[in-house]
Amino acid sequence: MSLKKIFIFFDNLSFKYKTSFLIFIIAGGMICIVVLSQISTFTIKEDFDTLFDNRTKTLIKLENIKDTYSVNIQYTLKDLKDEAITFKQANEVLILAQQLIDKNWITYKKNLDSKKSRLFITKFIKDFLINEEKYYKNEILKENIIINIDEKLLDIKTSLKGINIKDKKEYYAKLNLDISSISIYFTSLINYDLSLAVDEKRNTQKIFNTIMFFSFISIFLVFLFSIILTVLIINNFKTLHNTLEQKVEDKTKELQELNNYLETKVSKEVTQNRKKDIIMFQQARLASLGEMLNNIAHQWRQPLGSLTMIIQSFQTKMSLGKLSEKFVDQKVQDALLLADNMSNTLDDFKNFFSPDKTKSKFFIKNCLEHSMELSKYLLEKENIEIKLIIKEDIEINSFYNELSHVFLNIISNSKDALCSAIDKNDRIIKIIVHKYKKNIIINMIDNGGGIQKKVIPKIFEPYYTTKYKSAGTGIGLYMSKQIIEKHMNGTISYKTVTHKIKDKTNYSCSLFTIKIPITEEIGNKKVIDAK
Amino acid sequence: MQNKDLNILHNFNVLYLEDDIHLLKHTHDVLEDFVNNIYAVKTSKEAMNILLNKKVDVIISDILLENENGIDFLQQIREKDIYIPTILTTAHTDTKYLLDAIKLKVENYIIKPINIKELLNSLYDILIPLVQEKEIQKNIYVIKTISAITDSKQVDIVKYIINNLDNNNNFTASYTEIMEEISISKPTLIKLFKDLAQKDILVKVAHKTYKFNQRALS
Repeated sequence: MSLKKIFIFFDNLSFKYKTSFLIFIIAGGMICIVVLSQISTFTIKEDFDTLFDNRTKTLIKLENIKDTYSVNIQYTLKDLKDEAITFKQANEVLILAQQLIDKNWITYKKNLDSKKSRLFITKFIKDFLINEEKYYKNEILKENIIINIDEKLLDIKTSLKGINIKDKKEYYAKLNLDISSISIYFTSLINYDLSLAVDEKRNTQKIFNTIMFFSFISIFLVFLFSIILTVLIINNFKTLHNTLEQKVEDKTKELQELNNYLETKVSKEVTQNRKKDIIMFQQARLASLGEMLNNIAHQWRQPLGSLTMIIQSFQTKMSLGKLSEKFVDQKVQDALLLADNMSNTLDDFKNFFSPDKTKSKFFIKNCLEHSMELSKYLLEKENIEIKLIIKEDIEINSFYNELSHVFLNIISNSKDALCSAIDKNDRIIKIIVHKYKKNIIINMIDNGGGIQKKVIPKIFEPYYTTKYKSAGTGIGLYMSKQIIEKHMNGTISYKTVTHKIKDKTNYSCSLFTIKIPITEEIGNKKVIDAK
Repeated sequence: MQNKDLNILHNFNVLYLEDDIHLLKHTHDVLEDFVNNIYAVKTSKEAMNILLNKKVDVIISDILLENENGIDFLQQIREKDIYIPTILTTAHTDTKYLLDAIKLKVENYIIKPINIKELLNSLYDILIPLVQEKEIQKNIYVIKTISAITDSKQVDIVKYIINNLDNNNNFTASYTEIMEEISISKPTLIKLFKDLAQKDILVKVAHKTYKFNQRALS
């Protein structure tokens, strides 16, 4: 249960903590393994050293002593007994042998006394982790043997000192016995030491096993934890991946929906735009209608005033008794003439606004003159002079009324610019028509100061207007562009130029250039001005 | 309005300035029956010419003329220190013009189409002070002529009485006071008062107080 809990706890940890945990465990495990392996190496090496120093070396010493006894002393004695060598020679050899034995024995004992201090860690392991088995260790036995050897050594020493040339056989036999017994003692000591070495070797094996056990455990633990954590992290990745995939799918779905929505919206907007365009056309028409209405109003006002006067004149003449037949005839004739004029004016405007959608052949000059006539009142009111220069009159097959609208729009635009910027006596609009290659070029210039530079890119946009109120709905130029570009395949452009429009003074002028292609071969060309 | 005696217009000359020839002609035709002379012209130049050479009593001018402006024309006249009452006619109800017109002390401002009755009434209103002035001038001449041929002392006394009438047409003074002002003998003075009392012109209402009865004069 608790394991499961821990597992769940780990599973719930954030990705960051999991990875840090994994790294921590791997690193910790690695350090553990390294430390343990180092320790084991050191311990084993030390044990080898001890084995070599304590056991092997001393064993060699003991062997030496034993050899010295058996070889040097016994053989010398034997030779002496056989009289192969002189007593003096034998004595020298014996003394030398004795010295060797003493020396080796002392070194051996010294070795026993000096116990090498062990490394701390090895000691720690030996003290706490394993019970040192000491099957053969028996200090008393050892001490006994050593004491025996000491005694025997002394015996042999004294025996050897008292050696004579004429000694008896028993004496030699006894000495030989002593030497044999000391050899036996040495052999048992060697055996004892060997068994100790075996003991230590076993301990070393134990330590090695223990360390190996711990390293295996730590390796196993590291491995286990790493695997668990890796599995957890992989799980984490999996869930993350899944959630991300889910999210991406959701988003894709959303995007698709949005896309669909946008598509329908775009198509809706397009249709709406078309509707708007139609409305705009109507608005533009209405705007110029308003302007024209002003024009009609003025053109009607004058004859209306005269008619009113004629009608009143009948009354006054009547009341004064001066109403003659001649007077009535005269006045009626005048009145009819005036009414006729009024009717003509109406016809003019009616034609202009008729929804005439068919192409017709007409001369560009007529169209321009008509437009000028229609805006005459507004221009006169603002004291604007308008000049028409036709270098080459051309008959085109196009939409008369729409073109007329365009001219009116630009004239109206110029009029507004002139009214707001230029003194009453200097207001001029100049229209120049000429032919260039297969196009009619109509330049319309006014000295209204031009359009501000930052505004120029916007003037052909719909609903853009700089005018405060006026008739400007901001669609005049937009509609003009639409008509010229879409209906007539022409172009309309604007430029601010410096031009000597009048006298010799330079004016900053607005120049609208309309280019209409002549589609059909026109035979009727009238050269107005050869220059 | 109806009782206005439009006949008085017959004595005056009118200058009519209008750029629409039709209206000019027809208005001229109507107005010529009412006034002494009507000078109908198309431009301010012609109008100025008429003004300098003829006697003009009233100017009627359109505001918007061909290439010029009635207000500007009026300004020119005023600058020449000629004061002639003016009526402006216009198709515009523009306040801009109206303000200019008021500054130039225009007598009237008529919106086109012109109502002839309105125009005639307006002319009458403008000209009646001139008529009245003429009338007063005439009366002064009459009195002066009478006093020249009769006893001037009696005329002086009458003048004194009329000049000293209070708001209720009462005259208060003693003979002595009158004699102090005008050197006249007492019997002549008493005789004059008696004559006036007999004709009901001066009625005694209290001591030293007389009421002037103007009805007795007609």
